[in-house]
Amino acid sequence: MTIDAIAVSESLEKATVRSWKTPISFAIFTFLAFIVFVLFAREDQTTFQLSPDNAAIKIPLISISPVLIGIIVTVLLSAATVYAALRAQAARKTPLWITAVFAFLFTLSFLAWAGSGSSLNITQLLVSSVALSTPLIFGSLGGILSERAGVVNVAIEGQLLAGAFLAAIVSSVTGSPWAGLFAAGVGGMLVSFILATFSIKYWVEQVIVGVVINVLVLGLTSFLYTAVLVKNTDTLNTAARFGRWKVPGLSEIPVIGPVLFNQTVIVYVMYLAVFGVWFGLFHTKWGLRLRAVGEHPQAADTVGIDVNRTRFWNVALAGAVAGAGGAYFTLDSVSHFGKDMTAGLGFIALAAVIFGRWNPIRSTLAALLFGFAMSLQFVLGAISSGVPSEFLLMLPYVVTIFAVAGFVGHVRGPAASGKPYVKG
Amino acid sequence: MKKRLSMVAVAAATTLLLAACGQAPDETTAGPTPDSPDTNTSTEDPGSATVDGFLPCIVSDAGGFDDKSFNQSSFEGLQQAAETLGVEYKQAQSDTEDQYAGNISSLIDQGCTLINTVGFALADATRAAAEANEDVYFVMLDDSSIDLPNVKPIIYDTAQAAFLAGYAAASYTETGVVGTFGGMQFPTVTIFMDGFADGVAYYNEQKNTEVKVVGWDVDSQTGSFTGGFEANDTAKQLANTLITQNADVLLPVGGPIFISAIEAINDSGKDIAMIGVDADLYETADSGKELFLTSILKQMKAGVNDVVTQAGQGNFDASPYVGTLENDGVGIAPFHDFESKVDPELQSELDAIKAGIIDGSIEVVSPSSPK
Repeated sequence: MTIDAIAVSESLEKATVRSWKTPISFAIFTFLAFIVFVLFAREDQTTFQLSPDNAAIKIPLISISPVLIGIIVTVLLSAATVYAALRAQAARKTPLWITAVFAFLFTLSFLAWAGSGSSLNITQLLVSSVALSTPLIFGSLGGILSERAGVVNVAIEGQLLAGAFLAAIVSSVTGSPWAGLFAAGVGGMLVSFILATFSIKYWVEQVIVGVVINVLVLGLTSFLYTAVLVKNTDTLNTAARFGRWKVPGLSEIPVIGPVLFNQTVIVYVMYLAVFGVWFGLFHTKWGLRLRAVGEHPQAADTVGIDVNRTRFWNVALAGAVAGAGGAYFTLDSVSHFGKDMTAGLGFIALAAVIFGRWNPIRSTLAALLFGFAMSLQFVLGAISSGVPSEFLLMLPYVVTIFAVAGFVGHVRGPAASGKPYVKG
Repeated sequence: MKKRLSMVAVAAATTLLLAACGQAPDETTAGPTPDSPDTNTSTEDPGSATVDGFLPCIVSDAGGFDDKSFNQSSFEGLQQAAETLGVEYKQAQSDTEDQYAGNISSLIDQGCTLINTVGFALADATRAAAEANEDVYFVMLDDSSIDLPNVKPIIYDTAQAAFLAGYAAASYTETGVVGTFGGMQFPTVTIFMDGFADGVAYYNEQKNTEVKVVGWDVDSQTGSFTGGFEANDTAKQLANTLITQNADVLLPVGGPIFISAIEAINDSGKDIAMIGVDADLYETADSGKELFLTSILKQMKAGVNDVVTQAGQGNFDASPYVGTLENDGVGIAPFHDFESKVDPELQSELDAIKAGIIDGSIEVVSPSSPK
């Protein structure tokens, strides 16, 4: 990664601020782990299934005792907490890998506790996580591109929905999912044109435009769905879907293979998009210009970049990327469009943008975290873990709030994001 | 010239208007004069002529009248009753949850004398409207929480039928695991899941087997829910999760979420059967009908037709109509394509259980059963 303004400001913070946030969060979770996994431990063994039924390389089932795991994990978590506290005392940050290991151990112990007496299919849990986070990742890439260029993109939800809608229709009419995927991009881009026109040309408050667009797209697609699609389900709303395509060789790797390399084309396109956006933003002239108009438009203007033009087309591109994510709903998951089928995921994508600090890779990880929480919710419901369903439905959102508020805290976005550029 | 043109336009518009309302032969000229529920309408001869000015109406929930499920069948029941009585009817479709109260009051303003409100979700709006309009009758589907003289609840003890379906599922399964999931944790949803799980438990008891139910736990009343009644990705992933828990029979409870389950089953490539709810989905589903082992029927069309017809003849009372196995208000659909795949003894066993439930020797109780 290149050295950018954010990295500089982070290193400044490191040197001066003694942050107790990490050790305090660690302590809370360790305490929680002690209470739940040790004091309220469950006796029955939990079975982890690591390979799908039809895998070439089978991993035997692993049975573990939740009590034992609970005790070991609690001890390790306590150690991590003490370590984090010592680091904080010395005014140094806890390395990210410690946090990652901490989270992994906590999750492992939680799974063992919740799955007590039943069998958990870990591969399926992860496959489902990747699937559920796919539209979020596309959405957050759309958010990043737009915001890095200086236009706040609250309209991700609308872009996803428009993409899903057009993808369903075009794929139904043409019988080709590829045409559908293309149409999804066009749909998202059309939504972006509204956003770009109002926020760049007419200087309307960008958050307001975004919110209004979301309501508009929801209303429009719901109306067209009831008025047109329901009556012509066979011709207009029975999309041809992408099938799963195994990457030869790679898909046979235990656990990782089925999770990453036995997916539909949309997921593979997503991998390319994440890499493309990351590489483009930080290693090309295009990316430099895009970030310049988002950070310091005056400076960019001075060196001869047409700020508003650059912004307009990059917001359009952002819409196309987010719209392509909408194709997931109608070309990968189910083969028909339904009212409000994105169900607010666009806003979670927006959270992932901020959680990931406007960085494609980190936002992808944030989206995966949300997908994992969502997937976990299904598994916990299915195995009758005794957790009330209302709470399970909240789980992904609770995780998001903790993630954004607890572990990220104050972040600094692109400096000129949300401010229209008025020359002169 | 100009004047003549506009007169032609007015005439044309009037004709259109007249054509629009000219369908009912006995359009009453007098305004609607609904009888107050307190008047002695019940002393009138049953089967007598239609009450003067009777105008039955219906409000859907957010599923809409084209949901191939309970909104649609209730609407059909109303249409049937209106035809029998020879009266007009009006309907108002709710597209979102905030339209319930508005739709009800708009129907009252249009002179409706009886309003069917379809679904648990409309209970609060119905109660408020019924309290404010004592001279309008309400028929509340799927909820019995309102105790007012002008509100008649239509409810179904679907646990009884779901019990039979659970027994059939337990008999059919080869993996020994059957699964269920719901839209939202409403009593009208969980009553299916309770009955289903109890039916499986009864099979285990009778046959000394250990068929497992995933997705719902009767004792703790917790399980799998998609959080809505849309056929979306969430519903598909949830169905998928149950499939990976080895379930080979799925019972999705909640309007169109079964469509997502069909996609999940097709994608899994496994041999998995489904159980439909509300209507015989083998007959009504657009695709995937070959997957339906059976359906748990809730005869809303018949219920609404009965209640509305009687009210139209001046026999409205507020006592709840409870659909049970006994009055054929609930039941299970034929096995259709699965006829040859199920145990040949199954049908006779189910008949015996049905008789047992009706005479009370087999007790099916769910926390959500009509009291």
